[in-house]
Amino acid sequence: MKILSVDDSKTIRMIVKRTFAPFDCTVLEACNGEEGLATALAEKPDLIVLDITMPVMDGVTMLGKLKENPEIKSIPVIMLTAESGRENVAYIAKLGVRDYLVKPFKDDQLIEKVKRVIALQPKAEAVAA
Amino acid sequence: MTATTAFDVGAHIRDIAPDVFETMVSARAELTENHAPLALERISGAIGIVGDSVTGAVYLHLPELFAQQAAGVMLAVAAGQLATDSETNDVTGELTNIIAGVLKSVLCDAGYFCAVSTPSVIRGAFSVEASPGMDVDHFYFLCLGQRIAVEVHLNFF
Repeated sequence: MKILSVDDSKTIRMIVKRTFAPFDCTVLEACNGEEGLATALAEKPDLIVLDITMPVMDGVTMLGKLKENPEIKSIPVIMLTAESGRENVAYIAKLGVRDYLVKPFKDDQLIEKVKRVIALQPKAEAVAA
Repeated sequence: MTATTAFDVGAHIRDIAPDVFETMVSARAELTENHAPLALERISGAIGIVGDSVTGAVYLHLPELFAQQAAGVMLAVAAGQLATDSETNDVTGELTNIIAGVLKSVLCDAGYFCAVSTPSVIRGAFSVEASPGMDVDHFYFLCLGQRIAVEVHLNFF
C-alpha cells in the first residue's frame, strides 16, 4: 500500500508518516500540488491525503488535474484541511473527494478515515509483537 | 448593528485556540487575563485573510520554549532530544494555519467569504502595526505553564 501525503507543512507530512508507521504501507510526501501530481503519476499511490492551501499549486487545483488524467483519476483522495466552512465542504465534495478530515485532528481519526477507503494491515512485526 | 459588531471574534477564538492545542499538542489552554508582554524569545506565525467584505490577519505568538515543546509532541521527538529550529518554525506555522483556517471557516459561514494565505514564521520580539480600519484583538492563554497569544486583526467593510 502507498499513501501520498501532499501538504506544504512538513509537520503534517511527518504526522501522517508517523500515524501510518505501524501499518504495512509506505507514506510518500509532496509539498505542493505540482509535486503531488508528479508523484501520483510516478508512484500510483493507493490513496492521497491532500491539503488545500499550498503554494505553487493548491489542493483544489491538483484535485481538478488529477480527475482530468485517466491514469490517476481513480486514486481516492481524502482532503485534510483546516477549512471546514459549509461552502468549502460542499465545494470539495463536488470535486469528487472520497472524504475529508478537518484540522485539528487526532491520529486515530485519520486512521479511521483511511481505513474506510483502503484495507490497511498492521506491519508483520507489529502483529508478531 | 454594523458588520464589525455582528461578528464576535473573541467568542470564536476562545473556543478555537484551546481546541487546537488540546488536539494537536495534547495540552490544555486556558484563557488568562494576564496581558503583560510576552517572553522576548518567541516565535510568531502569521496568516493573511483576504475577502470581498473582510481583510485581516491572524498571529500566533509562542514563547520559544513552548514552540519547542509543541514541536516535540506533534513530531514525536524522542525523549532527551530537541526539535530543530526548522521543525519548530514549521510547527508554529501549522498551528497558526489551523487556528486561522478554522476562523476562516467561521467567517465564511457567517457570510464573510474569504481566503487565507500560507503561513509566515518570524522569530524575535516585535509588535504588529495595525493597518488603518483594523479592529485588533489579543487573546492570551496559559498552556504548558506559559503564556501564549493569539492576535487577530480584522477589517469588515
